[in-house]
Amino acid sequence: MNNHPAEMTRRRFLASTAVIGATTLLGPSGHMASAQGPKPTISFWNGLTGADGKVMGELIGQFTKETGIQVELQMIEWLNLYAKLQVSTPAGEGPDVCLVHTVEVPHFAGDGILDPIDDRMLASKGFRGEDYLPSPWNGGTYQGKRYTIPLDVPQHILFMNAKLLKDAGLVNADGSPKVPGSKDELIQMATRLTRGDVFGFSIGTTGVGRYTWGFHNLLWQNGTNIFTPDLKKSALADPAAIEVAEFWGSLYTTYKIAPPSNASARDAFIAGKLAMWIAGSWNFTGLRDAKVDFAVAPVPKIFKQPTVWTIPHQFSFPKPKAQDAAKREAAWSMIRWITDHVAEWTLRAGQVSASRKSHSDPRITGDPVLRTLLSQGPNWQNGQPAPKWVAAENLTRPQIESVYIGQKNAKAAMEELARQINALPD
Amino acid sequence: MPAGKRRDGLRRVSPTPYLFLLPALLLFVIFRVYPLVNGLWLSFTNARLGRAEYTFVGLSNYEKLLDDSRFLLSLVNTAYYTVASTLPILALPLLLAVVLNRGVGFKAMLRGAFFFPFTLSVVTVGLTWLWLLDPVVGPFNYYLQQMGFPVRSLLADPQTAMWGIVLTSVWWVTGYYLVIYLAGLQDIPHHLYEAAAIDGASAWRSFVSITLPLLRPVFLFVFVIHIIGSFQIFGQVFIMTQGGPGDATRTVVQHLYEAAFQNLFQFGSASAMAWVLFAVILVFSLIQFRILRGHAEY
Repeated sequence: MNNHPAEMTRRRFLASTAVIGATTLLGPSGHMASAQGPKPTISFWNGLTGADGKVMGELIGQFTKETGIQVELQMIEWLNLYAKLQVSTPAGEGPDVCLVHTVEVPHFAGDGILDPIDDRMLASKGFRGEDYLPSPWNGGTYQGKRYTIPLDVPQHILFMNAKLLKDAGLVNADGSPKVPGSKDELIQMATRLTRGDVFGFSIGTTGVGRYTWGFHNLLWQNGTNIFTPDLKKSALADPAAIEVAEFWGSLYTTYKIAPPSNASARDAFIAGKLAMWIAGSWNFTGLRDAKVDFAVAPVPKIFKQPTVWTIPHQFSFPKPKAQDAAKREAAWSMIRWITDHVAEWTLRAGQVSASRKSHSDPRITGDPVLRTLLSQGPNWQNGQPAPKWVAAENLTRPQIESVYIGQKNAKAAMEELARQINALPD
Repeated sequence: MPAGKRRDGLRRVSPTPYLFLLPALLLFVIFRVYPLVNGLWLSFTNARLGRAEYTFVGLSNYEKLLDDSRFLLSLVNTAYYTVASTLPILALPLLLAVVLNRGVGFKAMLRGAFFFPFTLSVVTVGLTWLWLLDPVVGPFNYYLQQMGFPVRSLLADPQTAMWGIVLTSVWWVTGYYLVIYLAGLQDIPHHLYEAAAIDGASAWRSFVSITLPLLRPVFLFVFVIHIIGSFQIFGQVFIMTQGGPGDATRTVVQHLYEAAFQNLFQFGSASAMAWVLFAVILVFSLIQFRILRGHAEY
């Protein structure tokens, strides 16, 4: 037996070189063979169940046509989507890509449902923070790690029924509808507009009395939030939150300018029975389809600051049981492709993109609604990065509705709500 | 023991019937018994969906339910719905069945018309009634206004919201119970009515002394099924009011659903609620069987 270390003879050198050469040559060719082979099919879940879902389906169809990557789209109503994601991902049955709202990121990240995204991988795919508006970009991180990549920024906007405002004489010199500049002015205008079965003002889509997103918008305008800044307890028993709740209740019970709590504000606006309406930007394409004569304006400053509520959609990678590099690569391709075609998404789905690239597109800046949505950018705010945010939101609905209909006074309701939120399990 | 007798004994425990039963039994065990037992186990843990680790917490989840004012309220609301809906759901289909059984015109068409709502999903029914009762654009209020009545928002008022849910449920299930009552009515021998008529009994007397007693098994079935269904009410509430206004229509299953699927996926706590609900339904079902059990032969 030869116990000496192998010596580098001429023959051994040639043999080694041949092996290295063969590996080098075959390596890329093998890789190329797999790249040129059948493209993987990926699954993409989202909650775009409205008209925007049709647009996303068409864009994905175009992506498949250009890249050959098949995408199995599942569009499920958001609440059910999140429950399904939470159940299926640990079982290894989650999708390759899932669209989630920013406020869902903390609890999905905390529960290990989402894969963190490596910064180098992000950069190698051409995603840079400076290409995005800060609010949606920062919403994709939790405890210092990035989990998602923003797509767009659904947000609130003020819709105004042009005819109703004109009939009430609430127009500017150029004939455009007058925009309320303060809480008092909003109430005065709404009171003037409320006649018979026509209501002057409302916040929300369906079930306006329990529209938490509108309530959050007002909280943020008044400089407060669901949780204290350290996210350790609820801030809803604070005077600023109680002031917001009092205003919320006064809309229906004191001023009588808003519809009953279970009304569909969207249907009322389309039917010409609601004059001023703060609601989600996703409603505007539907209003155009319904041929409603409306104008828009930035969300008015009702409290201390003109904050605008937003809830960006974010691309996420649910954690698979076993990594499939080809599928993950295909998923990146899809996200990159949609990001590169986000102007189409904005124009057809009516959602302003989170990336700045399309913001100077003349087709977008030329649209009065999209232009208004973009102008709100400096005032955008997201929900707090708290895993209990969504659970707190569910607890908020019945309390603010009780205040809205005058069943509870604002202080008692907010104190009870704060207690309930503080009692949520960790 | 003689050999022949032993062979008879072996024949009696032949595995063949059990093998035929096995597939159904397996499915029953996997999809019914296992979830039930697992749910009971979960109710003694702090399990949260998506988290692998959970610990045994004893009766803690059940103790917390005693302090959960919203859970207790949801029990009261569920009981309120059950009581409020029972009489119309027992009486209205019976009334319609008796009328249809008497040979009115367009019997088949009317039976189809009454049964039609039951073919709809709860989502369709809920959304339809939500629109019908919408306080601003709904036809219900439009016609009220046309007739000079003040506008009412049935679902936005805590005093009336549950009645809106009852109304929807009655409309939805009347056709189903109507068909069951009709089958029961057609099962009653006609000669009993003929004998009663010969004895001079009025139609009302025949109804009270023949129809109602002989429909007792049907009543028991309808009553038990309705009570179980009422305690499990969820779809109509979820679609139409989401438990509101405030918590006025919050039911046990709504509360359970939110705990399990919306508020941090608390499966331990939600399982405890499910077992409390199961116990309540079991007690009510036993009471009903005891009260209504009787002779059905005729």
